[in-house]
Amino acid sequence: MGEIDFSQPKYYTNRELSWILFDHRVLNEARDKNIPLFERLKFLSITASNLDEFFMIRVASLKDMVNAKYEKPDIAGMTPTEQLTALSIAIHNLVDLQYSTWNRSLVPKLAQSGLTIIGSHEELSPEDGEFVDRYFEENVYPVLTPMAVDSSRPFPLIRNKTLNIAALVQKKNGKGELEFATVQVPSVLNRIVLLPSEGKARRIILLEEIIERNMHKLFLNYTIVCAHPFRIMRNADLTIEEDEAADLLKEIEKQLKKRQWGEAIRLEVEEGCDKRLLNILREELHMEEENIYAIDGPLDLTVCMKMYGLEGFDHLKTPKYIPQQVPELPAGCNIFDAIREGDILLHHPYQTFEPVVDFIRQAARDKEVLAIKQTLYRVSGNSPIIAALAQAAENGKQVTVLVELKARFDEENNIVWARMLEKAGCHVIYGLVGLKTHSKITLVVRREEDGIRRYVHLGTGNYNDATAKLYTDIGLLTCAEPIGEDATAVFNMLSGYSEPLAWNKLALAPLWLKDKFLYLIGREKQHAKEGRPAHIIAKMNSLCDRDIIAALYEASVAGVKIDLIVRGICCLKVGIKGISENITVRSIVGNFLEHSRIFYFENDENYEIYCGSADWMPRNLERRVEILFPVDRPELKEKLLHILQCQLKDNVKASVLQADGSYEKPDKRGRSQFQSQEAFCHEAVLAAKAATEDANTVSRTFIPEVHH
Amino acid sequence: MSIRTFAAIDVGSFELTMKIFEFSGKNNMREIDCISRRLDLGSDTYSNGKISKEKLDELCRTLKEFSDIMRSYKVEAYRAYGTSAIRETENTTIVQDQIAQRTGIRVEILSNSEQRFLDYKSLASKGESFRRIIEEKTAILDIGGGSIQLSLFDNDTLVSTQNLRLGVLRIQEFLNRYANRTSRIENTIQEMAMAQLNTYKKLYLKDREIQNLIIIDDYISPCLVKLTGKDRDKTVIGTEAFNDFADRLRESNTVQSAKMLGIAEERVPLVFISAVLISRIAELMEAEHIWVPGVTLCDGIAYEYAEKIKMFQGEHDFEQDIIACAMNISKRYMGSRKRSETLESISTTIFDSMKKIHGLGKRERLYLRLAAILHDCGKYISMVNIGETSYQIVMATEIIGLSHTEREIVANVVRFNHSRFVYYGQQITSSLDRESYMIVAKLTAILRLASGLDRSHKQKFKGLKAALKENQLILTIDTQEDITLEKGFFEDREEFFQEVFSVEPVLKQRKNL
Repeated sequence: MGEIDFSQPKYYTNRELSWILFDHRVLNEARDKNIPLFERLKFLSITASNLDEFFMIRVASLKDMVNAKYEKPDIAGMTPTEQLTALSIAIHNLVDLQYSTWNRSLVPKLAQSGLTIIGSHEELSPEDGEFVDRYFEENVYPVLTPMAVDSSRPFPLIRNKTLNIAALVQKKNGKGELEFATVQVPSVLNRIVLLPSEGKARRIILLEEIIERNMHKLFLNYTIVCAHPFRIMRNADLTIEEDEAADLLKEIEKQLKKRQWGEAIRLEVEEGCDKRLLNILREELHMEEENIYAIDGPLDLTVCMKMYGLEGFDHLKTPKYIPQQVPELPAGCNIFDAIREGDILLHHPYQTFEPVVDFIRQAARDKEVLAIKQTLYRVSGNSPIIAALAQAAENGKQVTVLVELKARFDEENNIVWARMLEKAGCHVIYGLVGLKTHSKITLVVRREEDGIRRYVHLGTGNYNDATAKLYTDIGLLTCAEPIGEDATAVFNMLSGYSEPLAWNKLALAPLWLKDKFLYLIGREKQHAKEGRPAHIIAKMNSLCDRDIIAALYEASVAGVKIDLIVRGICCLKVGIKGISENITVRSIVGNFLEHSRIFYFENDENYEIYCGSADWMPRNLERRVEILFPVDRPELKEKLLHILQCQLKDNVKASVLQADGSYEKPDKRGRSQFQSQEAFCHEAVLAAKAATEDANTVSRTFIPEVHH
Repeated sequence: MSIRTFAAIDVGSFELTMKIFEFSGKNNMREIDCISRRLDLGSDTYSNGKISKEKLDELCRTLKEFSDIMRSYKVEAYRAYGTSAIRETENTTIVQDQIAQRTGIRVEILSNSEQRFLDYKSLASKGESFRRIIEEKTAILDIGGGSIQLSLFDNDTLVSTQNLRLGVLRIQEFLNRYANRTSRIENTIQEMAMAQLNTYKKLYLKDREIQNLIIIDDYISPCLVKLTGKDRDKTVIGTEAFNDFADRLRESNTVQSAKMLGIAEERVPLVFISAVLISRIAELMEAEHIWVPGVTLCDGIAYEYAEKIKMFQGEHDFEQDIIACAMNISKRYMGSRKRSETLESISTTIFDSMKKIHGLGKRERLYLRLAAILHDCGKYISMVNIGETSYQIVMATEIIGLSHTEREIVANVVRFNHSRFVYYGQQITSSLDRESYMIVAKLTAILRLASGLDRSHKQKFKGLKAALKENQLILTIDTQEDITLEKGFFEDREEFFQEVFSVEPVLKQRKNL
């Protein structure tokens, strides 16, 4: 038998199509009758915002490739054009399913539960009509900017992602031609308008319906022939996605210079929109048929998130979970003393993120602390971490902060507080040339009685106290010397100094991480070949690196059992005969966003377990600074293994990848239901309770204070 | 317990490095940070003789950052040393001044012998593994950017050390200019190196057997340490294994080598040059083992500082190395060992008894011993002009562990032992400052007196006793022999002694047995 070429395209799934499947899995949550109704609204909203982002980044990028005549096939052998064609079909199906969920399931259910959504202004009662008209005149009219198009006025710039109402209008006097007019639905106003109602029941109508009803007041000398909402998505993202090859980037940059602003790549219009109106839009925006989406319902379903926020429906939401205290870190403890007693593992959001904030807060105040160094990526502006860092600098500590400005959507936000940190006296590094710094690491250098001691926090998630309540992440607090040395070396490298002679524990991308993973996978393969036990469990957000997947196939062929927990994109195929029969892939989509990356390698019964900031994606492994760290202490390793095992046991929120590329819920017959996220919540509550009870045990003897 | 934090800065020809150390208790030295940045000062100096403005700016920028880092660690003391790139640049003092003005860091210049001595000290900081290895016949190959240093051990004492201008950057510079065909590179290196190495072998190596070769360098060591792991004591490899490694480098192209070694591509040629040099020298010496301890100059700087603040007490006697080197030089010029020993013994006896008056310390005592050992090496060249020729020999011979100034002190003492003393300010060629010159005068006075006492070269004064009584230095000698000659010379020389110390030496002979 010859060598198998594991890199053949037929062994891989296109990443964009795999992503669509992910959005489908989120949509499944919105369709799940076992989930509280308002949570379902939230999931529907997420599918919509996900899809918007997908268009702006991924579809835009594919369009750029086509425009640049870049025809290199992806890992599944599809050219950009082929991908766009396949995507168009997949997205249309997804959108259809979104709106059938909305119309057939959610809207009737909401009405039953006391929230009536008036779908169109034509359905308003005369009293309600009067109410909304008054509302229009008082609140809406003053902020509208109606625009008409004629020979002297060119077609206006329709802003990306905004909701607009297009109309065909006709001069009242005479039989003038039909003219095009448009008005943006102002984003400064709440899109949900509550209609007067009695009792607990609520009735709402969307802002665009109110405007549509009052269009004639905007174009006084015209008759409104028809008016329909529409929305476009532009390829406005001038920052080029880092995932693509360098040669491509150059080509696209050239193209970008030629373009004034982003071309429209998606047009959403109300279903049943007037053909003449649609034609104008299509021509003016140069839309192809496959990129036009006729929407049966409200455009831009992210409005569902606003509905979720309506008061009075708490019984239709999952009770809010409060992140629990970490038993090793009781409130008010000295965090450095606690870390010296042993490494501490944090599991967010089940456990509170507060210790991480506290870590920096205490460091800022601690007399013995010399320096604090941290990497920041997507941090909320009013973050207590930023405040603590500024405080530390003012207290005379040496504070070094690497701020990643290339974080996708919030560059401006970052710049503001980065400047503030600089003013406070911090040394701010604004990212590295050509690399995104995605690693999450904090180093506190403290001068203690027996010399310098370094305290390190390493994490899988960003230093963002807001998302830490929603994303599942792992953090490690340690003062182990080898990790401290490595952490110092990491910040030396980030400050532009040379790499260390050797790393003790950490593996860094882009220089060493991929090799480390390939080595670890290869080692399991070797063990399997020698007839020893070999098992890999890996949990991540996305898996699309060809080299890693090929290595996994090779390991699978050698007999390594491989269980993958991949939330999002997965380009690996399971169940290929003679290639990937030993590999399982499952995706968990639950209330919390699965975000932690945990990697387990059996290593001949002497298992190793790692956590890190990197997915198995080329961008993570090759174009970002990422850190992978081992967790060494046996009791912490057990905790992590337990997390993985629970996720493998999950039969409610998990979907399992099938050989045909689809995802199916696991067969629950004869098995009790098990939800890993719920189990983790429960465990965290119990652990915190046990810890406080221990602390509250009243002693029968009094202990006199000796020192004062 | 008190903890001292110290920063060692190496302004090297290829890289700027700062290491932060922490000393706690005796012999407890811990490296807590190592910051380095590539900055190629060497190529400027070696090809143009001057450091360019851009490089100087970059140097100052980095040193400024170093100074911030020092502050953040609350470092109590630092030493910053510049090596060949700064030493050999035409405007050394201007560069030093610029750095001090712009960064507040005072960079001192290490002479080659001081630098090598520090490298050597860094080796000794390896303690047990160092001691074990020098029990066998051992040579140290210290590869720098500008030159290499070959030092030989005999019975765990350093006996000779020689500097050859075969530094990695210098060779690289040459290759860049003249060897454009890659296939020729190795041959060119070999030709450049072998001419000098063969001479070296004839002069110094002779039939000496060498078992171990210790490598100190900043090029190949980091790679080897990386490959063999951080456990530096296990970095002894067989010569064959090393040659295999060199072969692998030879067969790989730059990209492959960089990947194999985990280094930047620009570094590959330097590693290769270093590897070729090591191979050739190991072959020349027929060494069996190669030890790559991975020590750096910064380690030596820290070791030296720790010794100074008494936080570190090495087992190895470095003074003995310096003495042994001097004896070897003396031997080369047919100096009499016996006579040297007598002179050394007499002069140190006088020195010790005069402590209150001369106020000199341990280091100056060492100069005196060296001067005694080397006092007449010039007679190898001329019996008439011993003072001048001895001076020239000492000035031209490297004595490991002595700075240039120190060597000049020793050379002058040797010279004025024979010729008329030239007072400060009269001598135009000397670079010594007033203070050093005073040391010269004092040591000269002592050495002159001592050589007067041993004029006959018959070692009559071996059991000399010296005692200071008010304004007199009473020298008592137990001997049956006639000391008329010595007495005469003694009186002749006591004048200068009196001039310098205002103490009158008095010679007493006791003839009881």
